[in-house]
Amino acid sequence: MTPVEWAIVALAALGAFFSGVAAIGIIRLPDVYTRAHAASKSDTLGAVLTIAAAALALETGLSTAKAVFLLVFMFLTNPTAAHAVARAAKDQGIEPWTTENDQ
Amino acid sequence: MVEFATAMLAIAAAFVLFAVVALYRVFVGPTIHDRVIAVNVAGTNTVIAIALVAAAFEESTFLDVALVYALLNFLLSIAFSKFNVEHGGVL
Amino acid sequence: MTTSDAFRLLVPVADSVSVRNTVAHVVDMATNAAEDRPVELHVVDVASTRAVDPDAIEELAAASDLLARVEAWVAEDAGGEPPANLKLVTDVIGAARYLFSPGDYADVLLEYADEQGIDRIVLDPEYNPGGAAPMLRPLTIELALADYEIEIEEAPVARRAQRTVLVRAASLPKYLAVFGASYLFYMLLSSWKPIDFGTGLLTATLVTVLLAPVAFSEQPSFARIGKQTVRMLVYTPYLLKEIAVANLQIAYVVLHPALPIDPEVVELQAAVWGDAAVTTLANSITLTPGTLTVSVTDRAFTIHSLTAGARADLFDGGLERAVRFVFYGRESMAIATPRERGDDGGNSDG
Repeated sequence: MTPVEWAIVALAALGAFFSGVAAIGIIRLPDVYTRAHAASKSDTLGAVLTIAAAALALETGLSTAKAVFLLVFMFLTNPTAAHAVARAAKDQGIEPWTTENDQ
Repeated sequence: MVEFATAMLAIAAAFVLFAVVALYRVFVGPTIHDRVIAVNVAGTNTVIAIALVAAAFEESTFLDVALVYALLNFLLSIAFSKFNVEHGGVL
Repeated sequence: MTTSDAFRLLVPVADSVSVRNTVAHVVDMATNAAEDRPVELHVVDVASTRAVDPDAIEELAAASDLLARVEAWVAEDAGGEPPANLKLVTDVIGAARYLFSPGDYADVLLEYADEQGIDRIVLDPEYNPGGAAPMLRPLTIELALADYEIEIEEAPVARRAQRTVLVRAASLPKYLAVFGASYLFYMLLSSWKPIDFGTGLLTATLVTVLLAPVAFSEQPSFARIGKQTVRMLVYTPYLLKEIAVANLQIAYVVLHPALPIDPEVVELQAAVWGDAAVTTLANSITLTPGTLTVSVTDRAFTIHSLTAGARADLFDGGLERAVRFVFYGRESMAIATPRERGDDGGNSDG
């Protein structure tokens, strides 16, 4: 592999790390709101980094443009989706978990 | 020495694994919202995996699949949140 | 039925978008009729809950509030001085029983009409008591089926329903923006063969004709969009830095064996306005360290925060200031931060 390819793989691996954090987060965190934190932040960054790597790896201009569009789309929709779910949970009267619940 | 395509596919496999991990939350819930968030995460990871496969095989048509999947994934979360609240748990 | 030569009108009201215009219409009708005989105008609110229900107090208060407003409107429409033979009667009816379908509402109204000797019922076109399901027979039909000698009329007021919010006047910039966006998106997904330019042109034209009227909530201005894009490019690195910090923090919290979190929900009165700016701020808050926008009503943000440090950052207002810069330019950055405005979510431990 060339150094550029190594850099691309490293970028994708970094993205995989954050997506892994998101996956572990939605398993470990205690309630729907905190899980939405993990899903919105970590998964978005994971997606953005990895798709950026894919965009760099693809050579033709058009597929790079598609990948960039996908990236921007993920960047806008992921937090919005997390927000929609959190609001639905709030409207349904689900109480947020606090440290007192633990004791 | 590893091939570039192999490395990209290995990372794609990792994303598939994360999607499977997220499925655990889909099964245990406990609320519908936990499940929707988990499905959303699993969907995002699938989109990323498809994009990585596209990069590994130099197949830009796969990116169209990823785009449409991303659109559907977003729509799914929004639709579930809307229906669940405003129509008193239809879904 | 009581017989008398007075002309009696019955108007059921509820808080609908066209109730004001309906009142204006019946007052007009009543004033005309009052020129040759006495007129009684009965304005009623049909209560949907029984007086013994726990939430009845609130609803009955809302009903009498609405009727008080109707009285003010009638006085206003009659020119401050209603004709001597125009009598206004307001009442809340139906509080003695449960009402479910439009048929039940029709029964209550007709009973009242029979008692009072009503000649004509005027309906607000948007009157939809109890939010009846669309598959039920509408109130107009239920009323018409009754075997009383009563005229039923729907007030001829403009139906200002939700669609006016959706459909806005079309304009050239709007058509251009929709056409450009759909053509670009089509070309992005196509293979750039010559025929694709043709089919793209066709598709984009179709999309523009069909969807341009519903596409924007306000008229797009290319100058403003251009300026906002440039400022957005300035904003992006700042946002990216915040996102990087946010993710390292989340990664630390999630991977820490003890899961050191202290979640709390706080309210923020943000000094931003307009759909796009509020959405951008809401999404930015979600993406940055430890905060997640749960819901937004006008300018009040409900935010779930993961740690105490995240709450302190939020009320320092850095993001809010940056979003204002993107949408309204440099001058607006001088507006005070939430903490300086005295809003710290009732949580000043920082």
